[in-house]
Amino acid sequence: MNTFMRWAGILVTIFIAAPLVIVVPMSFSSASSLQFPPPGYWFGYYRAYFTDLDWLIPTWNSVVIASATTLLTMLLVVPATFALVRHKFRGKSVADLMMLMPLAVPHIVMAVGYYSYLGDLGLVHSHMGVILAHTCLSVPIAFLVLSANLKGFDRNLERAALSLGASPTKTFIHVTLPILRPGLIISALFAFVQSFDETVVGIFISGRNAETLPRKMFDSIRQEADPVIAVISTLLFFLVLVGIAAPYFISALRSRVPKPSRSPAGAH
Amino acid sequence: MTSYLELSSITKSYGNFTALDNVSLSVEKGEFVTFLGPSGSGKTTTLMIVAGFEKASGGSVQVGGRSISELAPHDRNIGIVFQNYALFPHKTAAENVYFPLQMRGVGRGKGLRQAEEMLSLVGLKGFGHRHPKELSGGQQQRVALARALVFEPSLLLLDEPLGALDKNLREQMQIEIKRIQRSLGVTTIFVTHDQSEAMSMSDRIVVFEKGRIEQCAAPLDIYHRPQTSFVAAFIGESNLIPATVTNAASREADNPLLGSFEYAGADNRLTDGQAVTLLIRPEHIKLSRNQVENRKNVRMIVDTIVNYGDNALVIGRAGDIPMRVRVLGADVVIIKEGEECCISWTPDSVFVITK
Repeated sequence: MNTFMRWAGILVTIFIAAPLVIVVPMSFSSASSLQFPPPGYWFGYYRAYFTDLDWLIPTWNSVVIASATTLLTMLLVVPATFALVRHKFRGKSVADLMMLMPLAVPHIVMAVGYYSYLGDLGLVHSHMGVILAHTCLSVPIAFLVLSANLKGFDRNLERAALSLGASPTKTFIHVTLPILRPGLIISALFAFVQSFDETVVGIFISGRNAETLPRKMFDSIRQEADPVIAVISTLLFFLVLVGIAAPYFISALRSRVPKPSRSPAGAH
Repeated sequence: MTSYLELSSITKSYGNFTALDNVSLSVEKGEFVTFLGPSGSGKTTTLMIVAGFEKASGGSVQVGGRSISELAPHDRNIGIVFQNYALFPHKTAAENVYFPLQMRGVGRGKGLRQAEEMLSLVGLKGFGHRHPKELSGGQQQRVALARALVFEPSLLLLDEPLGALDKNLREQMQIEIKRIQRSLGVTTIFVTHDQSEAMSMSDRIVVFEKGRIEQCAAPLDIYHRPQTSFVAAFIGESNLIPATVTNAASREADNPLLGSFEYAGADNRLTDGQAVTLLIRPEHIKLSRNQVENRKNVRMIVDTIVNYGDNALVIGRAGDIPMRVRVLGADVVIIKEGEECCISWTPDSVFVITK
């Protein structure tokens, strides 16, 4: 049983890691289309990616859209999370459900909806349209992360600050916000990644003007299977890797800072 | 002439539930008053109303002759130490203590020096640069105390601050808190459900039960002259015997199972035929083989003997009334579980409770 479990584990790991094993070498491939194993290796497609406006503009669009989506999401989610976690009011359970609804509805259904709805508003093929649609999809994810953080927040800390003479605003700035900062950052990061990564809605409504990177990649793979896709996938993979590893790296560095020796005062 | 802290007819209800029922209390400047009671008795609710975190349904709170009922918590100038300390995890000990000064516009340099001074007073000299998670429970407790005192609050509120500490540390902190409180002369309200803490620290104890004040008196008065059976049972160990006053003039009462009692006194006027409760503390009862002269003697069957080394608790039945007797460790050898013995007391040890 033990051996079986171990082999099952190894197989699953291989299965999950396999795309990387294929994609990363392919990004250095000299073949003219996606081909594995690569016939030879060069950096040509990296140069192609960084010089071709057909790739750089969608990349820039995606960065702008994801950033704006993150900002809008956080502006909505922070107050909403405080209201839903800390207060009781009529219709709270309905509000809770509405916040999470976009998670349950298939993206394709959402995309069709946005297409006709934003079409009426004249927002299809515009940055604003994609930002609004992506915000709807990012809100539940950011909300889930932040509400988990806020539920674990010790409210006595705020009471203590108030009793020590801090107004509610100062309490929020000096106590609530700094303590919630990691949760806020992770929440925003999830919102950003969700938008940057989103394909279905992007295909439906981003159009040529606001073409996102995933949409461009999808078009490209359908038409010519340009190995630049492998380049972008590799870059994104390492970007995410750095993003995930950074907090561990920083905390590892911090804990290596030597602590001052315990002074022998008779205190406990 | 009103006292420094005046609670007048404070009432608090949640829907149909009355958490506080007409609580009134006067505290003098510099006094150390303990709110004692079981959980849900209203002691913490009262504290939260004084702090401003809960709004009373009725009544008022005055400090120094000024009503603070309408003030927001951050305008009340009251220091609070919470049970879990509530230190700010992202600030060092010194920054935590500096926080109330910062909020009052004291500059960083001056404020941090003042914070370090306060930390030395609570015995944490040189610990200012540590973050709360680098401090032990007792040290965090001291930082919380320093933070609540550094801005010279008009009141210090302590909400079960010793609950999370182990026994030895708790006793040490009791002495320490008392010392700091005396040296600063700050008026203090201490909330606890631990009667020994209340006994050892307080100038006065306020016993809460079901949202009311049962009794408010000095610790020894509470112990020796409880006004209600609840207080008698809650504070220390007690033998409570229902009885009827048979002759108020010659101070005699009667229990159908134990016979006639002589008692020393009561705080209220008694009348013949009145139903009362007689309190005898276990340490005032003498345990012997045979009857002792000039004392009220009763036969008791011993059920259990609990040894504590220096003393022992003997639990038994006298005419089916459960009795507890505390004896010195050496005396317990005269008796075994299951045997019958004689217990006796003098009229001085019998206190009459009318409620």
